[in-house]
Amino acid sequence: MADHTQHSSGGGKVLPLASKPFAPDDEAALRESLKRCSPSTFEAAVQFRKTGNADHVPAVVIGVIERFVEPDLRAKLKDADDDLRLIEDLGIDSLTMMEIVILVEEVLQLSINNDELRNLRTVGDVKTFIDCKIRGLPLPRPTKFLPIEHIGSVMPIQPPFLFLNEASVSSTGANGKYKITGQEFFLQGHFKDNPVMPASIMLEALGQLAVLFLLEGAPTEPGKAIGANTIFFTGCEGVRAHRMCKPGDILTLSIKPKRMKMPLATFEGAIRVGQEKAVIAEDITLTFAYVEAAAAPARVDGEARPGVASDGGANPPLKVAINA
Amino acid sequence: MPRVFITGLGFITSIGNDAKGVEGSLRELRHGFELYPPFQKPDIACKVIGTIKGFSTDSTDPEDWTYPEAYEIKRETIRSMAPHGLYAHCAFLQAITDAKLADGDISNRDTGLFAASGGSPMLTYFHHERMLRLGPARCSPLGIVASIVGTLNFNLVAAFRIQGASCGFSSACASSAHALAYAFDEISLGRQKRMFVAGGEDGNRDAILPFAGMRTLSLQTDPALASRPFDAARDGFVGTGGGAVAVLESESEVKRRGVTPYCEVAGWGQASDGYNVAISHPDGAGSRVAMENALSASGIGAAAVDYVNAHATSTLIGDVSEARALKSVFGEMGVRPAISSTKALTGHGLSMSGVMEVGFCALMFRHGFVPGSAHISNLDPSCEGLNIIRASSTQAPKVVLKNSSGFGGANVALLLRRA
Repeated sequence: MADHTQHSSGGGKVLPLASKPFAPDDEAALRESLKRCSPSTFEAAVQFRKTGNADHVPAVVIGVIERFVEPDLRAKLKDADDDLRLIEDLGIDSLTMMEIVILVEEVLQLSINNDELRNLRTVGDVKTFIDCKIRGLPLPRPTKFLPIEHIGSVMPIQPPFLFLNEASVSSTGANGKYKITGQEFFLQGHFKDNPVMPASIMLEALGQLAVLFLLEGAPTEPGKAIGANTIFFTGCEGVRAHRMCKPGDILTLSIKPKRMKMPLATFEGAIRVGQEKAVIAEDITLTFAYVEAAAAPARVDGEARPGVASDGGANPPLKVAINA
Repeated sequence: MPRVFITGLGFITSIGNDAKGVEGSLRELRHGFELYPPFQKPDIACKVIGTIKGFSTDSTDPEDWTYPEAYEIKRETIRSMAPHGLYAHCAFLQAITDAKLADGDISNRDTGLFAASGGSPMLTYFHHERMLRLGPARCSPLGIVASIVGTLNFNLVAAFRIQGASCGFSSACASSAHALAYAFDEISLGRQKRMFVAGGEDGNRDAILPFAGMRTLSLQTDPALASRPFDAARDGFVGTGGGAVAVLESESEVKRRGVTPYCEVAGWGQASDGYNVAISHPDGAGSRVAMENALSASGIGAAAVDYVNAHATSTLIGDVSEARALKSVFGEMGVRPAISSTKALTGHGLSMSGVMEVGFCALMFRHGFVPGSAHISNLDPSCEGLNIIRASSTQAPKVVLKNSSGFGGANVALLLRRA
């Protein structure tokens, strides 16, 4: 199985760079190219050009993106997660994207095709993409944004026990959102006259996002798919709840795979509300099994059904979730 | 037909970066010329240009530029500009304020924008050379819209969210006169209620020095002597850049908004020399017909014109040809309007000059003066008989004729009338 967790596997790997040694002239040119970027961006670029160590690439890429973002939006980039969207959150239009790419190409000495750009929607997409280019790895599948109809159609878990309103899945992880409506049946008793989202349910929500990742984002063997009905919870460790979550809160969930070897997949997970940490889980482990790709009806179905579901009426429990 | 008025002005010019500064320079005949550092080389015979003060746009990277603090321009707006895009953008902001336009008056289907510039030779060269050297993949995605003729309208229309008519005009030194003339038509035909007219030129080495190839630039090293239209010793024009913007509005808009216009645009005419690609007709044939067409289109008799802002750029052939055209239009009627060329002070703003000089005339109506034709020591004998005034007067004009001519023998004459 391909190593899909590139971010954690960097480990100072040195790559043979085909280009000529880094000369003082190159450094001057690099300084000129990066003159509007932070000093640390320039330093990272110098280090990369000298050593070929791909661990410096994310700092360069983020530094270049920052340089093209309007000053009043730069704060977002400072404490951003990889899910920050280029267009919606950072105001980067397609022409600015080209400017970013040209500068990255120049600084890292690589070339990027137009086709390859189309799928880059988040900061994480860009980092992963450049990282793969540098390491000569196959390019990741683009981040998929999944509406509730699609989530409902592929997941073995269904309302009223589905705790995802929307999600995005890439080959390196998944992100999701869930709004606590106050109508969740268990809040009637948890607690008396004081509805608080149970920590166990929040852990469940992270687990559900991990299930979605296995079904929609995880790399598989040729001809195989992970069976939706083969995935079960086995354990979790290092769980901490930092903040009470109540009706009206929007949970921002994220999971990243740490290890994945049949039949176990281990993830780290976190939930935030706005910028506040709510829950972290160091390890969430699920079991799974492969089935023949053709025998994974849920996924095939999932491609065809969103249109039907969004017509409304067909699936009342899902509709409740959509309205959430 | 709706009448058309000028209600707002903006200037970034060699003689001032706002209406007040420009007015003072015109009245007191203060020129805007300096020895231009990039020209102080042995192989460059031309030394003087009309410089833009308070701006630095030498870099090919707009983010390096500096400009007065009063203007705030975002990176996403400035990144696709040529130097003259910046000048005109600033002039545009002045014009909006000057015309007292509310936000809703600018971005709507009844408000358009016509513009004129010669494009940006500096950026064209920079991006083109880079493309040939490094390949198209290393080229800025905005190189084209920053460089080509049309860059001014592209940028202004986008920056100010213009939703009405928009177009660029390219008839060399008659370009922005054409733009203003057709903007007048746009309103008088009832198609638009308001038109912005913008002119701009980089006015830097790459925009001006190519004219040395046709030996048409003044080689004078004394800034005070370099531009002297109608003088016997004139030896060519002095280049300049900048940005100028005029706001034209229909009578009903002027009334609705309750603003006081500078003057009325009464009409215009045009005609071509049909003679030479770059040399004006020796008798000013096209210019004469353009003036006659303007007078008849406006229903104004030649005798009513009391001031002519000449095109005269200080070239040997051009000034005489315009003088002959003026003689044939006014001399035969026995009238002698005051004539001056403000290019003696500003230099030749090429595509920008038409709207810039209409703006000057608008200031004369409001502030009651007519500038003299500066730097004349010995009037060219072929201009004798014309009332070329040397000193400024403090009398507001009643009817002004503004001439503009460009390569190919294009001639535009605009008539302005006291509102």
